[in-house]
Amino acid sequence: MPARALAARRAAAVLGLVVTALSAAAVSILLGSNHLDPGVVLTALVHPGEDVGAVVWGSRVPRTVLGLLVGLCLGVAGAVMQGQTRNPLADPGIFGVTAGASLAVVLGVTLLGSLSVLATVWLALLGALVASVAVFTVAALGRGLSSPVPLAIAGTAVSAFVTAFTSALVLADETSLAAYRIWVVGSLSGRSLHGVGVVVLLAAAGLLVAAAHTRTLDALALGADLAASLGQHLLRARLAGLAAITLLTASAVALTGPIGFVGLTAPHVARRLVGGGHAWLLPASGLVGATVLLGCDVVGRLVGGATSEVSVGVVLSVLGGLAFVLIVRRTRMTAL
Amino acid sequence: MDRTPRALRRLLSLLAAVVLLGAVAACSSGASDAADPASSSADGQWTYTDDRGEEVTLDAQPTRIASFTDYAIGMYAYGLEPVALFGRVDVDSDPRLADYDTSAATVVGNSYGEIDLEALAAAEPDLIVTGIYPTDRKGTLDLEGPLYGFADVEQQTQLEQIAPVVAIEVGGAGADVIDSFNSLATALGVSEDTIASAKAEFDAAGEELEAAATSSGLEVTQMYADADGIYLVKPADEPETQLYSTYGVDFTDLRPDGDYYWDIYSWENASRMMTGDVLLVNVEGYQEEQLKDQATFASHPALQAGQVYTWNGEALDYASQADHMTELARILRDAHPVASS
Repeated sequence: MPARALAARRAAAVLGLVVTALSAAAVSILLGSNHLDPGVVLTALVHPGEDVGAVVWGSRVPRTVLGLLVGLCLGVAGAVMQGQTRNPLADPGIFGVTAGASLAVVLGVTLLGSLSVLATVWLALLGALVASVAVFTVAALGRGLSSPVPLAIAGTAVSAFVTAFTSALVLADETSLAAYRIWVVGSLSGRSLHGVGVVVLLAAAGLLVAAAHTRTLDALALGADLAASLGQHLLRARLAGLAAITLLTASAVALTGPIGFVGLTAPHVARRLVGGGHAWLLPASGLVGATVLLGCDVVGRLVGGATSEVSVGVVLSVLGGLAFVLIVRRTRMTAL
Repeated sequence: MDRTPRALRRLLSLLAAVVLLGAVAACSSGASDAADPASSSADGQWTYTDDRGEEVTLDAQPTRIASFTDYAIGMYAYGLEPVALFGRVDVDSDPRLADYDTSAATVVGNSYGEIDLEALAAAEPDLIVTGIYPTDRKGTLDLEGPLYGFADVEQQTQLEQIAPVVAIEVGGAGADVIDSFNSLATALGVSEDTIASAKAEFDAAGEELEAAATSSGLEVTQMYADADGIYLVKPADEPETQLYSTYGVDFTDLRPDGDYYWDIYSWENASRMMTGDVLLVNVEGYQEEQLKDQATFASHPALQAGQVYTWNGEALDYASQADHMTELARILRDAHPVASS
């Protein structure tokens, strides 16, 4: 296919994904566990009244915004992660980001007794950053950065180490256990939007770093040696990837708690639609991530029973588990 | 990598939240139909029939008791000293045990289902005491599964090899649960006088609670909240709230039928359960500040009036409940009506 036609097809695919994500957002605002008439919802959107306005503006709009933002972050982070490590089963949590954020939140509760919502966000961010820097340092001190394997091993090791501390803290202190249990369930609902501005800035920084390094990521996907021979500075490339993944995942984790599967599966769907070039893959993966996360959240709202919901983390675990099996069974996909 | 275990953990943590909270509620019942569950036969043998109908026979009255903390609290109050303790959470920092000297006991478990079998065996218990929670409103007991506090049936089998296990049923009427505990305490040698004096304090606290409940006329909402929404305790299903209801405390009870133990309201549906004047919020979930952050709940009259109290279920024995009822009576006297409906 001529390059121009290929580009047009990819642009059409991304445009289609934009429409899909916006549709998911619309559905997310219209449907919920409080079975409001869509007309009533639309009216409340324009004229925020008493009760319905609180549901629409206080619950559905924030969680829709969160879903779009967090889904986008996780989708892009997953694509960068898989490109960096050349591992189709890699997910953003591999850099110890989730484990680090958890430990920071638990440590905060243990030392201070309780945490404000904003403090929780900041601590999660800080913990995520510290953990990923630790992972990077451990990998760099060892066999170096030419192969993605040391990074993955360092990430797993640091995660295990950090998680051990978290376990020790929550087992020794009931308050910490309670705070941890509330936090560790990934959910778009019931989360506060306090501090969301700061997190959006960090997420935007992560997206910019990723966007600025799409060619580096393309080169890395060919292998470190080939990337070096193409003139890529390996350390800079790894650092850029790490920065993007950490900023994006930490932002997502800080807002909603750990959410799995999105970062793992979104890049695979996106790759099918636009191919492996990161300039197209990153936006496509982000849009797929946003759509999947919002879609699963809406499913959770509708299957919970009369007045309750199933949290998106659980829906993703069930549906994502199925997707994971499909990915593993598709051997072609392992050849990144 | 490692996705499936993490997914499982998340599911389990959710389940654990539900199970643990059900458990937090307290202790339990049963044995009212069995006239005298304990007896000593002529040759000095000790027998006891627990709430499952399991009969335990020992050569002599057991003196070395290993107990789950929920029941150990009542034992200490009666002057019994367990030799080993295991809890759902860290035992040494459990505030419910703060008034008692537990130094003689070996702590053999600080997390649900994690029991150090070697340490327990070394404590040489004659008897192990734990609980069992019914699985529905009718009081159905799952006798195939592990008892409360045990990880699984395999662990229970190992425990039974160390010492026989008796279980107190924690469900139904609160008074029945206390009676069941008292039956066990009596069988373990606690005198009638000791129990009678504890009952006198309990009854006095009950009268105080009844007076406060009647004069205040407040509706009390007992709940747990997290990102999923609000878990509204159904007062007839939780032994402790059932007990307080008998003293006239008016608990929010919007759907007495249907789901067992509690109704869940997602944050979108929070406005459906805002009738209470006083909020008793479980210590393990969202507290006042986090509740105020929920746009759909922020306008709750009790929340706006600051009538929000961190709450936890207490053990179902006379001493624990006397304290807890005194506390609730104080809350009811201090609070005032705010709900519009």
